[in-house]
Amino acid sequence: MDPLQFLTWVRGTGLNLALSILVLGVLWRLIEIYGLGRKADLSAQRDVSGASGWHTIFRRSVPAPGMLKTSPVTYIGGYVFHVGLALVVFLFAPHIKLIQSLLGVSWPGLPSQMVDFVTVVAMAAMVLVLIDRITKPVKRFLSTFGDWFTWGLTFLPLLTGWMAVHHVLLPYTLMLALHILSVELLLIFLPFTKLFHAFTVFGSRWFNGTVNGHKGVPV
Amino acid sequence: MSISNDREFKAALAKLGDVQRRQVAAHFVQQVFDLSNDPRVKAALDLAGRADASAAELSVAAAGVNTARVESFTQCGRDTDWHSQASHFVARAAQECVKPEVDLSDLWEAAMQSRMARICKALAAGEGTKDREAEVQYQALETILKVSGS
Amino acid sequence: MSASLDKGVRVLKEVMDAPIASYFNSCVHCGLCAEACLFYTETGDPKYTPIHKLEPMRRLYEQEFTLLGRLSKMLGLSKPVTDEELGEWQELVYNSCTLCGRCSVVCPVGNDIVYMVRKFREGMSAAGHAPEGIKGAVKRTVTIGSPMGIKLPAVKAQMKHVEADHGIPIPLDQVGAEYLVMLSSMEIINFPEYLAAIAKIMHQAGKTWTLCSEAFEATNAGMQIGNSDLARVIVSRIVAGAEKLKVKTVISPECGHAYTALRWEGANLIGRPFGFKVQHIVEVLEELRVAGLLKTVGMETDRLTFHDPCQLARRGGVIQPQRNLMNMVAKDFVEMPDAGFMNWCCGGGGGASAIEEGEALRMEAFKRKKSQLDAVKPARLVTACANCRIVLEEGLEHYQMNLPVIGLTEMIAEHIPDTAGGD
Repeated sequence: MDPLQFLTWVRGTGLNLALSILVLGVLWRLIEIYGLGRKADLSAQRDVSGASGWHTIFRRSVPAPGMLKTSPVTYIGGYVFHVGLALVVFLFAPHIKLIQSLLGVSWPGLPSQMVDFVTVVAMAAMVLVLIDRITKPVKRFLSTFGDWFTWGLTFLPLLTGWMAVHHVLLPYTLMLALHILSVELLLIFLPFTKLFHAFTVFGSRWFNGTVNGHKGVPV
Repeated sequence: MSISNDREFKAALAKLGDVQRRQVAAHFVQQVFDLSNDPRVKAALDLAGRADASAAELSVAAAGVNTARVESFTQCGRDTDWHSQASHFVARAAQECVKPEVDLSDLWEAAMQSRMARICKALAAGEGTKDREAEVQYQALETILKVSGS
Repeated sequence: MSASLDKGVRVLKEVMDAPIASYFNSCVHCGLCAEACLFYTETGDPKYTPIHKLEPMRRLYEQEFTLLGRLSKMLGLSKPVTDEELGEWQELVYNSCTLCGRCSVVCPVGNDIVYMVRKFREGMSAAGHAPEGIKGAVKRTVTIGSPMGIKLPAVKAQMKHVEADHGIPIPLDQVGAEYLVMLSSMEIINFPEYLAAIAKIMHQAGKTWTLCSEAFEATNAGMQIGNSDLARVIVSRIVAGAEKLKVKTVISPECGHAYTALRWEGANLIGRPFGFKVQHIVEVLEELRVAGLLKTVGMETDRLTFHDPCQLARRGGVIQPQRNLMNMVAKDFVEMPDAGFMNWCCGGGGGASAIEEGEALRMEAFKRKKSQLDAVKPARLVTACANCRIVLEEGLEHYQMNLPVIGLTEMIAEHIPDTAGGD
């Protein structure tokens, strides 16, 4: 298979396959998790405004009092790469074009130099977070194959995308194909690894906030 | 005078002078000391019985008694041993006796905690809880006041 | 699979729900929960990381409730949960967790870790892997009716003692009283002054109240060991007492887990909402204060600080009332760092203080409370939980800190003028 055939494949069959697995996988996993249901709470509620599941979905994005100084790398590194990823994925013109072709919607993008900068910063943050995972006792202790694997799955699209744009190492067609393939791998494994937190974080924060909100504690 | 209830008991206690209060408090606790037998409590009570106890000596005794008290708490969830709980209250009562100054409320506390110690002993023995220690304390105070001429 | 492991696994499968599934699938191994847990921060040992305390439960969830997990299990690719492993986990699930809930508040993906530990204990205790100290409390609850072996005569003895002290009669089994006062074993045994304080306060407020001879015990060992059946037995007794005496409000005493058990888990344990209110004594005092029925005289002038019992503040939602009450009678009330809903645990809740072999660990964990106290250097420490009081005193004694600990209700009552007939 030559690079052009490879690229055509990942753009066509590969993408369809990956998206199908993603959508079906997400649905199946959501049902598997939330289908377990939970019992109603029969105790009398304590009404305190600002204490609810919905509030916690947003408020939990802010570090709890006193926590930021205990692990600045976790919070700051984590934010930088998450936001960076979002900016790159959704505000880079070629990506917007792809979404337009799939869903029919589009929006203005960021200048490509800015996206380039954000990509580098996001990658740097990811490397920092990886080093932190290796060096901090608790993170090292908790880490399993899944943590390293998902780091790679998330890092490769950033790296290969950057390399493609800058025509580094490999010819463009091949680099682009590899970039798209790396994204497809990310999508395929997303529902079945810790990456699924992208979906469950809302449910988890909501449950947590609801239980505590019931007692009048805004968390 | 005769003391037959707590109102009269409190009124009689109020008649005591500064040094007397410490000594009388120690006396009440001595009467229940057999429920403890802790040497730190003994040392504190002996000291409190003296008219010339210095602030430094009291402070040292207080530390010892505090340790005895903390050591004898019944932990949440453990089986209650009323015998050792009695010794806890003896230590608490003894604490009142070695404060830098013993006022009326401290003296009252010492009497009450001593009664609690006796109650624990009664519970351990499965006996009824007629407030016998109160009677003992009334008689003791009557005697003390008679002797000191009040 | 042994019979007891089987039982444990069965119980664990029953407690799995959508929240637990969501939490296990959201964890990204960031380790922030460890930074919130005093057992980790004061020892530096990563095994005390809260989410790690749940590892066998997580594997069980995966192997029983996920398709991929079940496939893995069928193909012999997954590590089964064994009796030995549960035995190893006993220290993590009981000795090094007081159900304080700080982990649940900091987890960035929203995991309610304390909720999961509480459920894990159900399985652990069913499998026989609970500490002897708590097992004893459970046995005594079943055989005697009280985790610490307290029977009615002990309560009556205390009542008499308190009546003598203040000359205020203590009502027993009064039908139609507004408040049913519960006691915890700890108060009955260690702090008789709590009952005296209640008597004084109620007398001043002109409120009717009563004890109940069939339901005076609020301490819930079932909560701590993780045995809902037992927790239900204790709560049912209280509910029966409250309904028989037709009270409006049941007052939970200065005990953390008694409040959680009755106020938040009670209705769910018995399967129906309560027909009466449940309030912690601190909530009642605050209500009386706001209504102008709690009138105090004089102020404490020494420097005081307040330790928030975890089950009252962070886990119970009673955070401001204790501060208002402190300000009523304390001229120099200073807050320790992290005061309020982020306060640090005393280290002895959740049954931990009943575990003899966990004492060394508790003393290490106490360094956190010590550092909070060192930051404000109070003359005395006030709190509103009988177990916290003792755990704090033991910790202070261990570190040779000369700092008296007092109960909030007791302190408030000391500022109520004596008017009773005894004087």
